[in-house]
Amino acid sequence: MQALTARDLDRARSVMWTYVSTGLAIFGLMAFVGLAMRLEQAGWLSYGPDIFYALMTLHGAGMIVAIAIASMGGLWYLMSLEAPLDEGIAYWAYALMVVGVIGVLVSVLGGHFGAAWTFLYPLPFVGTWWPSWATGAFLIGMAFIMIGWTLWCAQMLACVLTRYGGFRGALAWELVFHAREFEASGKKPPPPQAFAALVAAVDGLLTGTLGMVLGIALIVHWLDPSVRLDPLWAKNLTYFFGHSLANLTIYMAVAGVYVAMPRYTRREYHTSAALAVAWWATLIFVATAYFHHLYMDFVQFPAFQYVGEAASYLAAIPTAVITVYGSLMLVYRSQMRWSLGSLFIYAGLIGWIVGGFGALLDATIPFNIDLHNTLWVPGHFHTYLLEGVVLFVLGWVFMMLEERSATISPVIVRWLVGIGIFGGGALFLLGFYISGADGVPRRYATQPAPGPELSAWASIGAVILLVGLTIALVEGIRLAAVGRRRTT
Amino acid sequence: MSVGFLVLAVFLIMGGCAVAVMVAVALTTRAAPLPQASVQFRGYVLRRWWFRVLGSAVVVAFVISIPWFPYPHAKQLQAQRHYRVVAEQFGFQLPEAVPLNTPIIFDVTSQDVNHGFGIYDPTGVLVSQVQAMPDYVNHLSVEFTTPGRYLVRCLEYCGIAHANMQASFEVK
Repeated sequence: MQALTARDLDRARSVMWTYVSTGLAIFGLMAFVGLAMRLEQAGWLSYGPDIFYALMTLHGAGMIVAIAIASMGGLWYLMSLEAPLDEGIAYWAYALMVVGVIGVLVSVLGGHFGAAWTFLYPLPFVGTWWPSWATGAFLIGMAFIMIGWTLWCAQMLACVLTRYGGFRGALAWELVFHAREFEASGKKPPPPQAFAALVAAVDGLLTGTLGMVLGIALIVHWLDPSVRLDPLWAKNLTYFFGHSLANLTIYMAVAGVYVAMPRYTRREYHTSAALAVAWWATLIFVATAYFHHLYMDFVQFPAFQYVGEAASYLAAIPTAVITVYGSLMLVYRSQMRWSLGSLFIYAGLIGWIVGGFGALLDATIPFNIDLHNTLWVPGHFHTYLLEGVVLFVLGWVFMMLEERSATISPVIVRWLVGIGIFGGGALFLLGFYISGADGVPRRYATQPAPGPELSAWASIGAVILLVGLTIALVEGIRLAAVGRRRTT
Repeated sequence: MSVGFLVLAVFLIMGGCAVAVMVAVALTTRAAPLPQASVQFRGYVLRRWWFRVLGSAVVVAFVISIPWFPYPHAKQLQAQRHYRVVAEQFGFQLPEAVPLNTPIIFDVTSQDVNHGFGIYDPTGVLVSQVQAMPDYVNHLSVEFTTPGRYLVRCLEYCGIAHANMQASFEVK
């Protein structure tokens, strides 16, 4: 492998910061959109269901794209340290996704498109209160996002296959099945973050391709309504693409955990056969767990329902036994340096696990009858996205800032950020879980009791959370300024 | 206690345990550090047990849940009384009343977009649901054991009046 020059490293960092800062900026805007939704549900704002459902659509699509872009930037940078990557391709992928985001923004803000980010066929075309062009702008915008995503995945796949010797090398096949010969050969397996890149690339290409098939079908129907689609087929593709993309944002961000944890604990996180097999399993379960979104569609082929529950359960094992457990082994009795960066990453593991519990319970079919499409669902995914993936990204950002500035945040700042993000976050999330347990439906502009009261408490939690995030933003800017002064 | 709150209790206990373990491990960094090799030696032994316990729990949970799946019931009850439910933006065509303590089947479909057919008992507890899809009929098997007025709410986002899409029927 050829060594990176300082110029290469600067370029790679530029790509990373472009992706990460864009992702976090969209995340910040979408957080305020989410707060506006909770305030409407609490009855503290009153702007009507047409605006509410348009904002809901924007929040859902915007958040998933924001988190994906931020995670993509971090993983791209890590892989660029492994093998030379063409930053031109990365910028093309970025530009395509930004064009897509603009399309979604125009559709929602200009046309009040409100068919939700899931745009379940035939909802974008039936009983609409938005103009037809807004549907087209949304679908074309999502298509651009998918093309950008697919291009990024293709670059990642090419990177891991060329760097590690095809699929056999990238999967660490020899390490798993011929361990002694492999060790005797002196070869090294791919580092842990390369497995995240491989899974993101392979499942991402599958996701992007099937997402595009659905997108094209919907665009064709938009152009010619006489072309009809099968609603069950469309629903399967919608959730395959949506669930898998949301899942992959976690696994992409986990790559940063594999790199950051050893730096904070001053220990090594090496690739073992168990880690490789765990990622093989993840490769399969990311693509098969989506069936749990269709449990309440009894016409679905029955075996898929069984696969959905089994895959959802089994997906927990690699997480709990390898990544989280491995991180705990790094932290246990180590010289852990507690800073905002390490706190974010460690707390992100907690959010991932707790949100995962919520997901497992919802993925249990007998429980899903009582939880499906209640507020339990946003409860669990907000837990592992907001208190998981976002914290992984923030942890990575703060680790870079702390290293560059050679300083860490004062204790008072750490406490304030912690109270805001974890205290406010817990209050915000409990509103979802308690409402969901009580059967309050999700995606209601006006909720039945006890929804409004719990939405009010959740809104207070969200405001505290946003204060914590704002303090973190200010602290991040301060560390960046210190770092700039130090390096110039 | 409703199933929803039972699940919430399980979730809070499991989540609380996870947080406690994570905090406990974080607090060990206050003690004198150990070499990584000694942590790994004990850690890998413990991980094997953790894998076995978790793997077994997953298999047991999966097997236990299967008899509670709603899918076989709807198919087995072909001889039972069927009630047609048609969802449409933003209302339901429903039977006025259904019998108490009698297994029945709702044949649920939609005339336009995807809807959800969520049944809430007279105390407001969500007791069953199924999706209402255009071009398909979902068969939901239910046996009501409590008389009274049951509320139906749409549980799949279906448009601007989604939150107001409800109906009711009597169980007697």
